[in-house]
Amino acid sequence: MIGFLAFSVSRAWQGFWRNVAMSLAATATMTLMLLLLAGFFIVQNGLLAALSFVEQKVEVEADLRDTATAVEIADLEGRIEALPEVREVTYISKEEALRRFQEARAAQGEEDLTRYLDSNPLHASLQVKLRDPTDFGTVMDLLRADPAVERVKNITDLVDRVVTVTDFLRTAGLAILAVIGAIVLFIIINTIRLAVVGRAEEIEVMRLVGASDAFIRWPFVFEGALVGLLGAVITLATIAAMAEPLGAFMFDFFRVLPIRVGAIARDVSLLVLGSGLGLGIAGAWISVRTYLIR
Amino acid sequence: MTSTIVERTSVPDALLQPTEPGRRDLLVLNDVTKRFPNGREALRDVDLVIPEGDFVFLVGPSGAGKSTLMKLIIRDELATSGEVYLDGENLARLPRRRVPHVRRKIGTVFQDFKLLPTKTVRENVAFALEVTGTPRGRIGPAVERALRHVGLSQQAEQFPRQLSGGEQQRTAIARALVHDPRLVIADEPTGNLDPLISWEIIQLLLRINELGVTVLMATHDADIVTALRKRVVALEEGRVIRDELGGGYHRRG
Repeated sequence: MIGFLAFSVSRAWQGFWRNVAMSLAATATMTLMLLLLAGFFIVQNGLLAALSFVEQKVEVEADLRDTATAVEIADLEGRIEALPEVREVTYISKEEALRRFQEARAAQGEEDLTRYLDSNPLHASLQVKLRDPTDFGTVMDLLRADPAVERVKNITDLVDRVVTVTDFLRTAGLAILAVIGAIVLFIIINTIRLAVVGRAEEIEVMRLVGASDAFIRWPFVFEGALVGLLGAVITLATIAAMAEPLGAFMFDFFRVLPIRVGAIARDVSLLVLGSGLGLGIAGAWISVRTYLIR
Repeated sequence: MTSTIVERTSVPDALLQPTEPGRRDLLVLNDVTKRFPNGREALRDVDLVIPEGDFVFLVGPSGAGKSTLMKLIIRDELATSGEVYLDGENLARLPRRRVPHVRRKIGTVFQDFKLLPTKTVRENVAFALEVTGTPRGRIGPAVERALRHVGLSQQAEQFPRQLSGGEQQRTAIARALVHDPRLVIADEPTGNLDPLISWEIIQLLLRINELGVTVLMATHDADIVTALRKRVVALEEGRVIRDELGGGYHRRG
């Protein structure tokens, strides 16, 4: 077994270097395809982050009665927070609401009208952020039923519109990713098939002298894995080299998005390594199969 | 020199009746027909018995079925009907994983040599042992022996392109011999060589035969066949039309 493995690996290594032009062409194709795949995967991630950023803007807002006591409010807040679909509950006091209103006016360059008032007309409120913007039903019912609540803003129409757009963009992104994935799959498998076909003579001799299927198949599979691994490493190195300048350029864009760079780096590495190795091996396996004993 | 015409129809159940007492039948084709998916019949009702140690010429025009017959013997193709037995094993019943083992009993030689251009003579011969999982220690001596046998020990480190046609074919024969095969099948081994070199190759095959290896050689070379007076099997349109001991290339009379 050890001898067989050593044989396969050393033959794969020899095969790679004895047809170095073909091997490098296959590696280059592999690299370009993986770059395409990884590039689009990153764009897709950005898109998804942007979509959830938009969706998070949707929140259920309940104005509280001025008569509600701190205990009642804390109790309501606790019950809302305990709901599984709720991500975060924020209490906005009357004073905070007034401050925000003043800030918004100032930001628009409008006159501060509140100073003509002798009391604060704004209500304290609870702002509820949801995990899924369409899941507002229970929260709204619970808020409406509570005596401390004066009014719940109806967000049904807004949610409908936002979700229609985000769902469409999600589906489109996934479809494009799938199409690119399929293109990458076919091109890589075809490239490796060409490399294998270029060695048809060698495979024929192996068959004639009585080499078993395993002895014919595994050197090619290891060679495919080598091409895949090399392509993946070059791809990741390229992405890593480009990440810094590109990241600086996109900083403002990314800063507002709820994006976790660490998680994406890990996902991209896994995707590139997995696809490179997987496609290299699958391509070799499929291509060699044609030549094995029928 | 006497010659006997073997009536095809007189071959009864080939397996039950050895040709000569004391000699085993190495290759037996029993009523073999090969029809390709496109409907063409390459072989029709072929009966053929080759005892161990024979030297047999397979003659006939192009397209008569010689190459198909060879492919059936190495189980590259399966017979549509009838049976092919090699060393007592029915090739049609052979499990897939046993196929390589049966092929190691056969050495194959072709008109186009089928040498790997990136390997030296020694590497080409050793390749046959490496890819069949032979332990390293046994490969070196076996390769030396095969090269000595064909007289190429001096050229062991050269590449095929540096060799003459005859030397390339001798390399191919060394590769065919390195497994110690029971049967050597040679498909037009002299087809690309001039007459003098052809004779060299034939002498080599005869010597191998004298060592007890059965040889089946397909050829168009009438001079060689007629001069040697060995057993001749003639194919035409997929049928065996003649099977005689000590025959010439052409039918007499």
